[in-house]
Amino acid sequence: MNCKVTKRAILAGLLLGLGIQSNFAGTITGSAHDFTAKSWSGGRICVACHAPHNTNTSVTDAPLWTHALSTATYTLYSSATLNATMGQPSGLSKLCLSCHDGTVAVDSFGGATGSTMVAASSNVGTALNNDHPIGFTYNSALATADGSLHDPSVKSITIGSGGQTKTGTLKATMLYNDKLECSSCHDVHNTFNAQTSKLLKVSDAGSAICLACHNK
Amino acid sequence: MKIAPILRLVVLLPALGVVAHAPAALVDTRHNLSASGPGAVRAVSETQVCIFCHAPHNSAPTAPLWNRRAPGSTYTPYASSTQRALTGQPTGASLLCLSCHDGTIALGDVLTRAAPISMSGGVTMMPAGASRLGTDLSDDHPISFAYTATLSTTRGELANPATLTGRVRLDATGRLQCTSCHDPHDDTNGKFLVVPNVASALCQTCHLKNYWSGSDHRNSTASWNGAGPNPWPHTSWNSVSSNACENCHRPHSAGGKARLLNAAAEEDNCYPCHNGNVARKNVQSEFGKLSIHPLASTSGTHDPAEPAVSATRHVECADCHNPHAARAAAGTPSGALLGVRGVTIAGAEVNPVASEYQICLRCHGDSPGKPTPRTRRQIAQDNVRLQFDTLNPSYHPVAGVGRNLNVPSLIGPTWSVSSLVRCADCHNNNAGPGAGGSGPAGPHGSTYASLLERPYVTVDNTPESAANYALCYKCHGRSTFITEGGAFRYHMKHVVEYRTPCNVCHDPHGISATQGNATNNSKLINFDISVVTPSASGQLRFESLGQNTGRCYLTCHGKDHAPKSY
Repeated sequence: MNCKVTKRAILAGLLLGLGIQSNFAGTITGSAHDFTAKSWSGGRICVACHAPHNTNTSVTDAPLWTHALSTATYTLYSSATLNATMGQPSGLSKLCLSCHDGTVAVDSFGGATGSTMVAASSNVGTALNNDHPIGFTYNSALATADGSLHDPSVKSITIGSGGQTKTGTLKATMLYNDKLECSSCHDVHNTFNAQTSKLLKVSDAGSAICLACHNK
Repeated sequence: MKIAPILRLVVLLPALGVVAHAPAALVDTRHNLSASGPGAVRAVSETQVCIFCHAPHNSAPTAPLWNRRAPGSTYTPYASSTQRALTGQPTGASLLCLSCHDGTIALGDVLTRAAPISMSGGVTMMPAGASRLGTDLSDDHPISFAYTATLSTTRGELANPATLTGRVRLDATGRLQCTSCHDPHDDTNGKFLVVPNVASALCQTCHLKNYWSGSDHRNSTASWNGAGPNPWPHTSWNSVSSNACENCHRPHSAGGKARLLNAAAEEDNCYPCHNGNVARKNVQSEFGKLSIHPLASTSGTHDPAEPAVSATRHVECADCHNPHAARAAAGTPSGALLGVRGVTIAGAEVNPVASEYQICLRCHGDSPGKPTPRTRRQIAQDNVRLQFDTLNPSYHPVAGVGRNLNVPSLIGPTWSVSSLVRCADCHNNNAGPGAGGSGPAGPHGSTYASLLERPYVTVDNTPESAANYALCYKCHGRSTFITEGGAFRYHMKHVVEYRTPCNVCHDPHGISATQGNATNNSKLINFDISVVTPSASGQLRFESLGQNTGRCYLTCHGKDHAPKSY
């Protein structure tokens, strides 16, 4: 028992020492999604994704979407031990992929066709089979079937850091219509982020972001 | 129950101040290679735990989001003469494990980092030790073979793979992989085993050995007395029953590769317990005696796939004993010899043997390369199977009741003309229970030549005494031979007066029907021709003329028998 306590203490010290809990969360300003410095943005942060009027409603619950959507057909993640039911991305992940699959220019929005492609390091491509699965329903049944996933309606998690945190079940804080999407891990607006790098809602120190769901 | 292991730790720690997580959590295992890992092998500063194996993006192979290079090694797979599984190069999940455990790729060499993650202590590859399997997998349990229902029936003693629905599982292609036994994320059971292997529960999920349920190697509660070498250096258990398979076998780094035995020399797998420090009797010391079954003469010659009639004479413990079956029990054969194959008196394979002698015939019957018999006889025969054949004119009643119904010397009620004797009634430990001693039973070793239980002097001109012919007198009462009368009334004259050993006239095993006949070779008569020579007229034979009467043509101790009758 003492041994365990000591290990925890060491880990706690490490995490604090590394500044994991410092204020990464904040605003989109200054984040990777702050496009004000781009020539095509006209200094407007939101312009690549959102517009107040005449937006694209083809994606369910799309938040005033104005970026041109990708028409790619994706290669889906598969695994012999995957219990989730996979399908072509829809919903929120489809919005992310409209830039991050590398088929549509970042500055293709508001009806315009741009030419600036997403940076290679942020381009997941259309082959999503080497990426964490998205767009699948993650519910209690899946957790039971898998055997090493937390029950999303039970497991509590705190996202964000500093003064901007939110605590709730995985279902409430990380899932969308019970589905795991890109935004389950990444807060694109840098609102409830544990770290600016990769815009993660939970730190990847200690692989906390992974272990939020994976009960290993 | 693993409730919120790392998340409480990382996220809630500052708020709660105190956290708790089950020891089963991955972060508390040696597979946490991050700087927070509990093992000696860990990163200098990397905090991510999963990254050593997994990445959320750009993984290869794609499942399970693998973050390491394929080893690209060429492996030496497990091989054995008794395997039916087809083991080739590792596949599937096993290759993922080997990307660290074969020791060819740096532990910190992950796809998502431009430079390998630095490990503390300057470690790069997995350090030498039990976890580093290397690329020679011939001393490891076979992996990546298709475990089919056909395999389970052709190999035998294997569970039908359809029954593997618990923690021990095959991969999606029906192959056994490292992950069938190990769960890399859960070290609850030690060695990342999917179920605890106390009493070899894990092994026995697949391996269903014949006779095992009643075996002393499964059931004995004997423990180590602390003397001599530790019989169980690879486990944390201290009884025979809790070590079970691991008394003799180990799944990795096996000394005896093909059988995954602890030690390369066969007998060295038995000695650590059968030296008086675990098992009650010290069998090991028997093999230091004058006359032994020479276990140490060969290593690697014995093969469970060898023919029943040994073509290359050798002896290992497993030639006579089935360690999956052996137990302390009386019977024919005794529990120590249960579940062993042998050769019938007719020369056919039998499995299991019905009688002890069938084991002996594996090497002392039709096998080539037998030594020349110690006594030079008129009818020479080195094949014990032929000597004991019940078609013979005479034979000691090993394979069947004897022919001579007139043996007044027999000590009743133990012995009668309808008795059977075992090879071990004569060939046995000089200090074992058969000889009134406390040593282990069985023909392991004896201070007397020919591995005999008691003295049996064969040198001519030996003074008769109870001690000199103790072996014969065990069953044949001495008084018959030192007094006048009996079936052959001149026994006393020969044995006492002329100091002629029993062995000079009698061939104790028997005379083959292919060489002798009932007239000349009844009553085990087959002369030692170093003592007995032809008569002056050149004749050398015994003739039976009926019960208690016969004659001999020979010369012995200078006396011409031309013939002499009784």
